[in-house]
Amino acid sequence: MSTSRRSFLWAGGTGLAVAGLGWPRFAAAGQPERTPAPVKPPASADLAELAQSPLLADAALAERAIAAARKAGASYADARLVAWRREQVSVRDAHVSGVRRSREYGLGLRVIADGAWGFSATWRLDEKSIDALAKQAVAAAKTLAKLRSEPVELAPIATVVGQWISPHRIDPFTVSAGDKANLLIAASQKLMAVPGVGHAEASVEIQREEKLFISSEGARIHQVLFRVLPQLGATAIDRKRGRFASRQHEIAPMLAGWEHVEDAKLIDDAEQIGEDAVRKLHADPVEPGEKTVILAPSNLWLTIHESIGHPTELDRALGLEANYAGTSFMDPRATGELRIGSELANFVADRTQPGGLATCAWDDDGVSTERWPLVRDGVLVDWQTTRDQAAWIRDETKDVNGHACSYADSYSSVAFQRMPNVSLQPGKDETTTEDLINATDDGILITGRGSWSIDHQRYNFQFGGQMFWEIKQGRLTRPLRDVAYQANTVEFWRSCDMIGGEGSYQLGGSFGDGKGEPSQANAVSHGCPPARFRVNVVNTGGGR
Amino acid sequence: MATLDEKQAKAITKIALSSAMAPELVVTIRDRRTGNSRFAQGQPTTEGDVETLELAVTASVEGRSATAVGNRSDKASIQALVAEAEELAVLSPIDPEHMPPLPATRTLDVAGHDPATAKLGASERAKLLEQALAVARAQSIEIAGYLEHHDESFTVATSAGMFAWWPSSEASLSVTCRTLADHGSGWAGAVSHRAKRLDAEALARTAAEKADLSRDPEPLEPGKRLVVLEAQAVADLLGFFVGALDARAADEGRSAFSHPDGGSRVGEQLFDPRIEITSNPTDTEHPAQPFTGEGEPQRMVEWVANGVLRSLVCSRYWAAKTNQKSTPRPSSIHMRGEEVELLDLVRAIDEPAVLVTRFWYNRMLEPRTILATGLTRDGTFLIDEGRITKAVKNFRYNESPLTLLNNVVAFGRPQRVMSGGIVMVVPPMVVKDFNFASSSDAI
Repeated sequence: MSTSRRSFLWAGGTGLAVAGLGWPRFAAAGQPERTPAPVKPPASADLAELAQSPLLADAALAERAIAAARKAGASYADARLVAWRREQVSVRDAHVSGVRRSREYGLGLRVIADGAWGFSATWRLDEKSIDALAKQAVAAAKTLAKLRSEPVELAPIATVVGQWISPHRIDPFTVSAGDKANLLIAASQKLMAVPGVGHAEASVEIQREEKLFISSEGARIHQVLFRVLPQLGATAIDRKRGRFASRQHEIAPMLAGWEHVEDAKLIDDAEQIGEDAVRKLHADPVEPGEKTVILAPSNLWLTIHESIGHPTELDRALGLEANYAGTSFMDPRATGELRIGSELANFVADRTQPGGLATCAWDDDGVSTERWPLVRDGVLVDWQTTRDQAAWIRDETKDVNGHACSYADSYSSVAFQRMPNVSLQPGKDETTTEDLINATDDGILITGRGSWSIDHQRYNFQFGGQMFWEIKQGRLTRPLRDVAYQANTVEFWRSCDMIGGEGSYQLGGSFGDGKGEPSQANAVSHGCPPARFRVNVVNTGGGR
Repeated sequence: MATLDEKQAKAITKIALSSAMAPELVVTIRDRRTGNSRFAQGQPTTEGDVETLELAVTASVEGRSATAVGNRSDKASIQALVAEAEELAVLSPIDPEHMPPLPATRTLDVAGHDPATAKLGASERAKLLEQALAVARAQSIEIAGYLEHHDESFTVATSAGMFAWWPSSEASLSVTCRTLADHGSGWAGAVSHRAKRLDAEALARTAAEKADLSRDPEPLEPGKRLVVLEAQAVADLLGFFVGALDARAADEGRSAFSHPDGGSRVGEQLFDPRIEITSNPTDTEHPAQPFTGEGEPQRMVEWVANGVLRSLVCSRYWAAKTNQKSTPRPSSIHMRGEEVELLDLVRAIDEPAVLVTRFWYNRMLEPRTILATGLTRDGTFLIDEGRITKAVKNFRYNESPLTLLNNVVAFGRPQRVMSGGIVMVVPPMVVKDFNFASSSDAI
């Protein structure tokens, strides 16, 4: 079989082995030009589109809602008109299995009355409904205020009037669903032509989020965000041995237009994906135990999300998410002192990063987005915050008006603190993935996203991956299967002893960062170079 | 404003169906009013009263299909939505697995709408919150939680004549209590289509008691252990089993229920003979949606009887292709238990065991064996000589729900638990050789 022959070649290869694997090529596909440290969002795309927005016609209703809320006794009110468009095209085994387009549009009104939050939302955009909405929100805030022990405190901010569209070359909604399906079918056909591949799944999801934010303080902010998510996967089946294995492409979702999908070259990569699925099926099971692993950016981004992103959310640390997402092992009182990693662990939060899914110009409180350090030289130095959280941490971090982390995933959702793009900074030299491999005597290279699970305080985690390559004496030797790595967050980041340079830095991300009750989805990216750790490797094969 | 009644819903579907040029159309409407209040640090935090509408139109023309979804119900918007679905459909490649819409079919009669629950608002929420907060205040314990209620109608209509409308209501409350200085945490939750069933004070008391009992947890070696899983923990794992009940995946060799020689393992004794798992949307205490989004009626289904795998979910396409009866993904799961209280289960255990309140961050590791991973949370205790003796640190498990169904020692009384999307009524279980893979410091 061609697969095993090629594996043999790779095992015997030298420098060529790495170049032949294909994983750096996938992961790099469609990455935006890297700007190391932006401090403001990238330049807006064509703003003419905003002048024609149907939302402008309803701005008067939003003003009306705010005025009615103020009249009913609100000390503060903001109204968000939010229009979502989504399109999903799915292909299974090289034929189309779903074409779905959706729109959602409505108004969410948030108020503070008697020191408590109130919120009401509706899709019925008429004056009568809006007046009733305002009364309902204020009445609810006043009712619940009686049970509050302290009032909500909003940090003062500069009033913003502004507009922004996320940069994109091609509006993804201008590409027909048929063209999208045909691209996915072509990739799937190529993938299924690989001997041993039984099934293919491919899809693309595109999003357009438009919002007009108006506040009782005079803010008026109009933004449009485009996001795209291509996916391609193969399943190889060995019926006789009762085994099957799946391989997903490692392409990242991006804040971008259709050009991200074109640049991804799914068709070119399809054969490799199919071959990898077969390779996984016939790979040797991993021997569990304490091991060295090199985690590619396509794997490490999710570990950063779970082990650093979530525990540096201030509301979690203070118990506001205790009933659902959980709390944090990091204590706000230890800010500036708590060591959570080696000197190489430098994390920044950044809602201005080009391509980052959480990037925008202003958050859903109307605060300008920014970039700031969370962990410096392994020590916790700051938190993710919003306007109404700034006062809680000001003594520790001198937070003025929060770090603009407010987000609501729909007109019908209340805005609260959500994760910005949180990224591990690359090393100062030009270390490459190949350098990391060559410097490792005995280990495993893990690429791509697999299964993931972490406890509610973010100590104990266990992650899988897509591809696992054994490393011996600085060379990739053979693929392995059934690999997961388990570790304690602090021990994991303290064990980090080698990271890649700026050239090896890449973004990964997800549309589905979940938090809050009712649960809301946040789109967020995490950049990182490849990095090396000591972990407990688990065999997930279940004995078969 | 109330949600759509049957007449209003029918009028909307009629506009869509009559404006269609495509020969096949399926229309669904989900109209919902939701109210919620969150609380933490002993006080309410955020809240909301929200109206949402989801009108979905799937148009099909000679095997080409597409769905358009909107949230407007006026005539022009409905017509535009139908036109959008049709335009998308004709431009889409042919789906060889396309199935025509369902004709008029009777659905089970299910009463799932409680008018008192449908009418709830912020003042009723405040009363329930006050009861829960008072418990925490009296015991000087941290409290956080979430209260939600909704009033909903769901409608399906097809160009082939199917029309079904189902109103429903639901209320749920979950509470987490913590003792900050000494690492205690406890949880309790309840859900019902009748808000009257929610006893906020009792839930808060249970959560507070568990938090109190779980102070200063001690580490215990991971490994295979005898466990008492509360009903919530059973459901958290059983969800993976329900997800794996798929005939096509089994027939195609991609499932734990694939037979090595082809086909599935339906008919085989795979589990302990006491295991019985069914679906029953008409259960008066725990009603569940009687039809799917395609309008396919839910039935009473035996998934496992006497430990024998009896049925798998089978899509209409796969059913037609393989000449079997179609079975939709269920809206309810019931697992048989015994009329035994949880503490009586504990009393009957004469060797060391671990009691698990619930699991968290559960993820599939390996579909071949339905091996999953996750962690215990909010009340994990050591049982010795029939008594809860001390709190233990949380564990990560790497285990399959198939182990639950094979290694069962005893069952308790089934109860409705919190589960995303479907109604689950399951018993607490005593299970041997449950695999705790590592320990966690999380509280």
